[in-house]
Amino acid sequence: MNKTSEQQIDQSAKFAFSFFVASAGLWLLAAALLAYIAAAKLTDPLLLSSWEYFTYGKIKISQANAFVYGWGGNSIFAVSLWIIARLSQSPIRGTVFLIFAGAIWNLAITSGLLGILDGHMLGHELLEMPKEVWPALFISYIIIAFLILVVFRSRRQKVTIAPQWFIIAALIWFPCLFLFAWNGLEINVGRGTLQSILSMWFGQNIIWLWLTPVALGCAYYIIPSVLNRPIDKYYLAIFGFWCIAGLAPWSVVHHLEGGPVPMWVPAVGTVMSIAMVFPIAVASTNFHATAFKDVSRVWNYLPLRFVIFGTLSYTISSYIGVIFSIPAVAKLTQFSIINEFHFNQRVYGFFSMIIFGLVYHILPQVTGKEIGTAAKNFHFWTSALGVFALLLAYLIGGLTHGVLAQQPTLAWITVIDSVKPYFLITEFAFIILGFSQLVFVLNLWKVIVPNPFSCCEKNVEQKTA
Amino acid sequence: MNNIFKFAIYIFLTLAFAWLAFFVGAKNQYGDLEPTSEYLEENKSVPKDADLFPKSMSGNAQLGAKEYLSLGCVTCHTQQVRTIDAGFDVERGWGQRPSVPRDYILQKEVLLGHNRVGPDLANIGLRGYTREWLHKHLFNPQILVEGSICQPSPFLYDVANEYSTGAINADNEADDNASTIFIKPTLRANRIVSYLESLKQDYELPEMSFIETQDEDAEDVEDVEDVILAEESTTKEAQSGVPTWLADQIASGKEIYSKITPGGGMCVGCHLPNGLGQPGAIPPLDGSDWVLGDKERLIKISIHGLMGEVVVNGKKYVGAMQGFGQTLGSPLNDQQIADVLTYIRNEWGNSVSAISPEEVKAVRDSHKNRELTSMWTEAELQKQNSSD
Repeated sequence: MNKTSEQQIDQSAKFAFSFFVASAGLWLLAAALLAYIAAAKLTDPLLLSSWEYFTYGKIKISQANAFVYGWGGNSIFAVSLWIIARLSQSPIRGTVFLIFAGAIWNLAITSGLLGILDGHMLGHELLEMPKEVWPALFISYIIIAFLILVVFRSRRQKVTIAPQWFIIAALIWFPCLFLFAWNGLEINVGRGTLQSILSMWFGQNIIWLWLTPVALGCAYYIIPSVLNRPIDKYYLAIFGFWCIAGLAPWSVVHHLEGGPVPMWVPAVGTVMSIAMVFPIAVASTNFHATAFKDVSRVWNYLPLRFVIFGTLSYTISSYIGVIFSIPAVAKLTQFSIINEFHFNQRVYGFFSMIIFGLVYHILPQVTGKEIGTAAKNFHFWTSALGVFALLLAYLIGGLTHGVLAQQPTLAWITVIDSVKPYFLITEFAFIILGFSQLVFVLNLWKVIVPNPFSCCEKNVEQKTA
Repeated sequence: MNNIFKFAIYIFLTLAFAWLAFFVGAKNQYGDLEPTSEYLEENKSVPKDADLFPKSMSGNAQLGAKEYLSLGCVTCHTQQVRTIDAGFDVERGWGQRPSVPRDYILQKEVLLGHNRVGPDLANIGLRGYTREWLHKHLFNPQILVEGSICQPSPFLYDVANEYSTGAINADNEADDNASTIFIKPTLRANRIVSYLESLKQDYELPEMSFIETQDEDAEDVEDVEDVILAEESTTKEAQSGVPTWLADQIASGKEIYSKITPGGGMCVGCHLPNGLGQPGAIPPLDGSDWVLGDKERLIKISIHGLMGEVVVNGKKYVGAMQGFGQTLGSPLNDQQIADVLTYIRNEWGNSVSAISPEEVKAVRDSHKNRELTSMWTEAELQKQNSSD
C-alpha cells in the first residue's frame, strides 16, 4: 500500500517537476554561456565590445541573475515540491497553477535579463532586474510556495524532520527578504550608503538563506534515505538549523568592512560570520559521519556522489569563507576576485552539485526513465574538474590580486597583469563546465520531453503486428 | 517546529531582527545627516558663510550616474576609500582620506561596489585627467593603458576619419599602421565624463580629516608627517632621522588635535588644520612664540585653559580656551597632552623638542590645588614666569 502511495505521489509530481527541471536546465545553459562570455571578455576586452548590449558589466550581472533566479529558482521549486510531497506522503495539488506560475516566473526572468542587457538595471545586488518584473516574480513565487506549503500542511506525519525545516524555511525566507529589501530600496528609499548596506544584505542573504538551506535540506533528505541509516548525531541538526537562521542574516554584511557605513555594521557582521563555524561544523558532521560509514555505496550511487561532493565543498569553502571574514585577512581579499570564489563555490561547487545529484535521484522515479551511466559519469567528472579548476583559479588569483593591490607603489596595471593568467584558467574552466552542463541538459530533455516520433513508431509496430 | 504558522513566524523574526538593526537602526543613526562645513565651531554649530560639503552633483553628472549604472561599470569599480585599519587605500592614493557616510548622502545612485578589477573611482575627479583623456579611455582603454582589460565603449562615440568641431583624436599610438581616428562624444558620453569628473572627496569633514601619506612629499625628509607611516620600518627611520617614539607621539598628537568627538582634543575646531587660528580671536600655533617657547607655560595652558587678552607674536588676541585637564567634557591624560603638544611643536613650520608625559605630570602636580575650571590669564603667567 505504501508502495502505491509513493507511486501516486511521484505521478502527481511528474508534470510540475518535469516542467521546473526542464526550465532550470535551459537557464543553466544560458548562465553557462553568459559566464563564458564574461570570462572571455576579461582575457580579450575587445570581444563583442562594439555592441552595447554586451558590456562586461551587463553580461556578468545577467549571468548571476540567470543563475540564481533561473537555474536556482526553478530547481528549488522542482526538488522542494518532490521532497516535501514524499516526506508528507501527500500528493501534489494544483499542477495547473504551478505550471502557470512557473511560466510567469520564467517569462519575468527572461524579460528582466533582456531589461538588464538593454540598460535598465537597478543598482542593487541580485535585485538588478528592472522594477517592472518584480511584482510578477513575487506573485508567481507566492503561488508556487503556497502550493508547496499546502502539501506540507496535509502531511500524514505531524512531527517534522531536518529536510523539511530547511526547505520550508527557505521558501518563507525569500519573500520576506525580498519585501524587506524592496521596502528599503524602492519604497522608503534609504539615504546614502544605507542603500548599500541593504543591497549587500539582500544579495548575500539570497545565497545564504535561499539557495543554501534548500541544498542542505536536500542533503539531509538523500543521505539517510539512500544509505538507509539514520543521520549520525541527528540531535545536532536542530542546533545547526537555528544557528544558520539566527546568524546568517547578521553575518553577511562583513563585506562592508572599512567602508563608508556605521562601523558597527561590518563589526557585527564579522563576529557573526566567525560564529558561523558552528552550523558549518554541525552540517558537516551530520553529513560526513553518516556518509563515510558506507563509502562504497556513496561512490557507486552517482547521485549520492554528487551530493557528497557538494557537502564537502560546502564544508571546505565555508571554512575558507570564515577565514576571509577575519579583518586582518579581509584587508587583503575584500575587493579582490576572491568574491568570485565565494559566489562560485556556493552556487556551482555546493548548490548545483547537490541539485544535480537530486535530479538524477528523482528523475527515474518520476518519469520511469534513466539517463545513461556514461553520460552521468561524464557529467560528474567534467563538473568536478571544472569546479575544481574554477575555484582554485579564483582562490589563488584572488590572493595574488589582493596582496598585490596592497602594495601602494605597484601600478594598478601591474596588479591586473599578474591576475590575467588566472582569468585565462577560469575561461577554460567555464568551457569545461559549459560542455558538462550541455550533456546534462540534453539528456534531461531527452528523458522529460516525449519523443514526438515515439507515437508514430508505436503505430508502425501495431500495423506490422 | 511542527506548526507551520509558528514556524513561519520564527523564520520571519530571524530576518526581521537583522533588518531592524541594519536598516531601521542604521537609518536612525543616519537621521539628520546633512552636508556640513569642513570644521565646526566650538559649540558644534556650522560657522556662518562656510561652504557646505558634500556638494550636490550637477544635473549632467546625475544623468551620467544613470548611464554609469546602466552600463554595469560598478561590477569592476568600487567608489569607496576604506579606513586606514581596513586596507591601504589611502596609501595607494585612492583618496586623501577614508570615505564616510556623509559623502554619499546626496547621491541618488550609491554605487559603492565590492570588486576592484579596475581602480577605485571615489576620487577619479581629483587625479588630473582631462576630459579628453577620459573620453579616449571610455572609447578604447587599450590605447591609453596598455594591457588594460577595461571594456571599450565605442558605441558612445561617433567615429570619423576627419576632424570636425568637438572631435577628439583617438589614434592608437602603439600601432603605427592604425589609421587616424577622430571620435565625437555623444550626449551620453559627455554625461558619463561629467559624472566621473564630479567624483571627488576633496574636502575635509568634521568626522574625517585628510590623511597625509608618504609619497606626497617623499623627498621632503624634514616633513615629519611622512615618517608616521614608516614607523614600523627601521630602515626608513634611519633615512629620515626621526626616531620611532617621536613619530608615534606626533601621530597620536595629530589624532587628538583633529578629533572633535569625545576623547579628542577638538583643537582643530578653533586653531584649524593649518594652525593659523583666526585674527583677533584665536592665536596661531604655527610659528607662535608661546608654542615654541617655554614648555611649562604651554603645559599650564593646556591643563587649565587661558582667558582674556593675550599677545602672540606681537599681535593681540582676545578669547578663551578651555583647559583639557578638567573632568568636564573629555579630559586628556598626561600622555595625551604630551602627544598633542609635541605634535603642535613639530607640525607646519615648527620643529622643536618633544614634551614628555613626565613633564606634564610635574606641572599638573605643582598646581594640584588650583581649581581645574579656573583658567589662567596672561598676566598671571607672565608674573610667574618672571618670578621663576
